[in-house]
Amino acid sequence: MATETTGAPAGAPAPQEKGKQQSKPAPSNTPTTGGDAAGEQKLTPAQLKAKAKAEKAARRAKAKEVKEVAPAAATADAKGGKGGKGGKQEGSQSAGSQQQGKSVPGRRPSVSNGRRPSIAIIKEDPRSSIPECFSHVPMAKRIQTSQAHKDVHPAVLAVGQQMATFALKDSIARLEATLLAFKKVIESYETPKGNSLSRHFVPHVLNPQIEYLTECRPMSFSMGNAIRFLKSQVNKFDIDTPEDEAKESLLEFIDIFINERITLAEVVISKNAAELIDEDGVVLTYGRHRLVEKTILRAKANGKKFAVSVIDDPYDQGGKELAKTLQRAGIRVFYSPNLGGLRAHLERASNVLLGTEAIFANGSLLAPAGTADVAMAASAANVKVVALCETINFDRERVSVDSLTYNEIDPERCSAESFRLMFDNTHSKYIAGVITEFESGTDFAPAQAILTLLRKREDPTIA
Amino acid sequence: MAPSQMSYAPTLGKLLKSLNTQPLEASIEALVYLLKRRQVKGDDIANATAHMLLQVVAKSKWQNVDQLLAKVSNTGLRLAQAAPTEQVIGNVVRRVMGLIRDEASEDRNADEMGDSVSDLSQLPTTPTMPSRPGPTPLRAATLPMSKSMFNLLSVSEPVQSPVTGASTPMSQGASANMHALRSEVIDGIEEIMDEISQADDQIAGFADIQIHPGDYVLAYLPSPTVERFLIKAAAKRRFTVFLASTERQKPGEVPHAALRKKLDGLGVNTISLASNSLMAYMPRVNKVVIGAKAVYANGGVSTESGCSIAARAAREYSKPVIVLSGVYKFCPVDPSDDVTEFEQGDPSTFVDYADGEAVDALEVENIVAEYLPPQYVDVYLTNLGPQTRDHLATIMADHYESEDMGLSLHLP
Repeated sequence: MATETTGAPAGAPAPQEKGKQQSKPAPSNTPTTGGDAAGEQKLTPAQLKAKAKAEKAARRAKAKEVKEVAPAAATADAKGGKGGKGGKQEGSQSAGSQQQGKSVPGRRPSVSNGRRPSIAIIKEDPRSSIPECFSHVPMAKRIQTSQAHKDVHPAVLAVGQQMATFALKDSIARLEATLLAFKKVIESYETPKGNSLSRHFVPHVLNPQIEYLTECRPMSFSMGNAIRFLKSQVNKFDIDTPEDEAKESLLEFIDIFINERITLAEVVISKNAAELIDEDGVVLTYGRHRLVEKTILRAKANGKKFAVSVIDDPYDQGGKELAKTLQRAGIRVFYSPNLGGLRAHLERASNVLLGTEAIFANGSLLAPAGTADVAMAASAANVKVVALCETINFDRERVSVDSLTYNEIDPERCSAESFRLMFDNTHSKYIAGVITEFESGTDFAPAQAILTLLRKREDPTIA
Repeated sequence: MAPSQMSYAPTLGKLLKSLNTQPLEASIEALVYLLKRRQVKGDDIANATAHMLLQVVAKSKWQNVDQLLAKVSNTGLRLAQAAPTEQVIGNVVRRVMGLIRDEASEDRNADEMGDSVSDLSQLPTTPTMPSRPGPTPLRAATLPMSKSMFNLLSVSEPVQSPVTGASTPMSQGASANMHALRSEVIDGIEEIMDEISQADDQIAGFADIQIHPGDYVLAYLPSPTVERFLIKAAAKRRFTVFLASTERQKPGEVPHAALRKKLDGLGVNTISLASNSLMAYMPRVNKVVIGAKAVYANGGVSTESGCSIAARAAREYSKPVIVLSGVYKFCPVDPSDDVTEFEQGDPSTFVDYADGEAVDALEVENIVAEYLPPQYVDVYLTNLGPQTRDHLATIMADHYESEDMGLSLHLP
């Protein structure tokens, strides 16, 4: 930034402004670049040089900013990849963006203008409009694929874009997409001469991918967990392990991981949870969660007769889709478009099923905003609240007591005119129990108990 | 002469303007329809009811006090049935009936006691409006804004005393007596109307006591009362307001734009929460301000839907919940049955009619008003100052006659 101010040409407009202009997504500012060019003609070569320097500084500052934004969610991979990242990363990143600054218009891949092209154009720096009291909360961010690190694999690029636009939304969907993309990364990986996979792959190939994904959207806890497992798997290889064998084993590891922790978990959880639905009862749920949906449909398929109350978040409206799906399956659905109807719905509800994004070490749930209100109102009304969660979503290191510690800002609503946090924190005292794939039968246990169980089961596998 | 003939869209404003020109029955009918269509909302309801009862007292034919009481309660019943969830109608009716009983008993006393004028000249002011002595000096001292209204009141008072004075010597004739009663009751109703219109300003007068510099104040679906309260506080304090609502805003539409503009102009930050749930923000919030639709004898509050979410979240984090309510919203009955306190509203804002599948399939329940149990309320901020639950009974006893407390306007 210092270079920026000193190197500013006296006659030119404020240097920061120019820096901002330049850092706007290149494809969108063709008119502005035209204007810039007109201005440039008046400058002397020396001024031009100073200006270029200022722009470079601004770009570098921006690249740095981007890194800072990338939140603490990356802590999970802190063990594995700290060494390789540091200085080298930063240099290559700004170099990359610099290079792209020149060649952008032609290079912009079609992925990024797919879903919501307006966003990138309207917002220059979306974080600037966040009210100060929430400025510590991270936010998903659309990064031009052209601005990404050059080592990022195309499959990962696509996943990153989908995560930034919330096409991949819940923690498990993101985890699965990430793992599948990583499989592609592994398949296309070739160990450079004089290196071994176990030493080279994580710092030089995997970490840039992870970093990019984290920039797109703060990593979900499940992704953090999975990446930790993956890294420890890589570290287990002997330095002399042949590349093919190592790759084969990694691919197999990911396949098994997806099978066990995602696919099978879903089946087991929905099966166990379906048993909790009472005959002739009313199940209340909030928003739309895959596990809850599966559970309800399974209970219906099992021949149970019951009704469902869907409470929706008016700013998300996933619940409406759930309600329609259930209705199509022949289930009677009461639908409340907002939390206002919560108490009325709870009065006839026999139990509450909640989907969660993650569970903290203290048993608190990280779940879509509004879940805490539902859980609290339900336990006040003496309605049993059961959370459904795969064990991969459990975090054993982080503790959260309020919703402002770990959260995300909705990138579409990040200004004072309209502000929204995506998650909230539900205290474990409002949860009767959690159903995970490790519990058998219809039993369910408080979250803390499951954490102990997890520790026992997983400790040997953790490096 | 119905308002609909004057314009295609009847509104409360037009109705109130036409009150003097059209027959009583037509006015009542018009108001009933406005209420049924929910075209009169919030604080206007109390005002409209008072206006209508004033017309009943002034225009209808009655020979004695009982007939008058019957007419008033009848009209009240019709209005209350048109808007069964609006407790305020019942409150105003009770107040007016109490007023009539008061005035009547004074006159009766006057008859019995002959010409002890000195006693009477004291009586009329005190028992008619027990609350008057309390707020009057306060209003004069703390509220420069309401001074004009205060003048209005102080004009009416001198008028009132000559009337009472004149009525006593003439009270031998029953019709003259009734005539005097009529004008006294009308004066009383006008006072009630003044009280209703000034309540918001008086409540706002306490704003700077409740809101401190640097506070984060959560206003859930701010009613006009809450808006005035915040604006008044903004004149003296620097704080931040979170505005929350259940309604999803259309793209490009800024929620509460007018309020935000005013607060911004006064240097107070506003943040609109595009969120239905408030637990996430509660650690940041210092206090929650809620506007009441009615306050029950047990301290429970009838509010906009979603307020209990806000209040429950506030309780979870031990943040105070301040309910703003004019005394005229205090309702001397207990809430009948919690379930009946829910009011359902138009679901079409949430499920579009274009979404045929959803329209067919879903039982959409958009609740627009709900009941907030007393344990979630910390302070009731009234035009008489901040109150706690323990003092609600005293206030209600001051404002309603015991005969009217049990008045039920919700019989089938």
